[in-house]
Amino acid sequence: MNDLLTRYNYDSFMPEKFEPWMNFESSPKTGTSAPDFPLWNLDQSSTRLSEIWSQYDYTIVEFGSFT
Amino acid sequence: MNAIADRYAAHNIGSIFLYTHEAHPGENYPHLTTMEQKFRHARDLRDVLGVTRPILADALDGACHRAYGSMPNMTWIFARSGLIVYKSDWTDAHSVENAIQYFAQIPQRRKAGERLAPFHVERLDYRNQEREQFYKSLERNGSKAVEEFRKAFPAG
Repeated sequence: MNDLLTRYNYDSFMPEKFEPWMNFESSPKTGTSAPDFPLWNLDQSSTRLSEIWSQYDYTIVEFGSFT
Repeated sequence: MNAIADRYAAHNIGSIFLYTHEAHPGENYPHLTTMEQKFRHARDLRDVLGVTRPILADALDGACHRAYGSMPNMTWIFARSGLIVYKSDWTDAHSVENAIQYFAQIPQRRKAGERLAPFHVERLDYRNQEREQFYKSLERNGSKAVEEFRKAFPAG
């Protein structure tokens, strides 16, 4: 795996590994346009974040994982 | 969060879970190395933890997650135009429902003829830390996850 994949998918919950990713303060501001990205359904078909938010008046997106 | 999705679906409010990376990797759910593994963990989120909202996976390098600040369990709300209307560095169902109750009225207010202009609000919300439940979830990941969290946050 390349360096970014390895660092992003850190193998241990250690401050030097997880803290560099916690960048909420520099994330996009409310009132601005949301960045769009490709995403994948669980059947591995592809979609985009914009395809989802454009279907509803408002869309709630929770980010997270099993762990 | 599942209940909020159900309660507001009829108000044309969408709700998804976006699978990122393993925040607390353990023996049972180790760090991700392939998309196949990511889909497998995401299916367990649905089948084991009972997330009923549509689950979508980010790229393996977390391109979307990183662009939004890569916090481990944050929630954002987008308007149909793609405008960011809410962002929270942690997911708290009370906070999200409070926000969506407000936003769900906006289309009707516009239809009723109100001329609405956006403005910014800053607010500090509070969440229940639910320590006992959190440690149970760490144990599910594997003892490595528990040990590493205790080491990183000895007072936790």
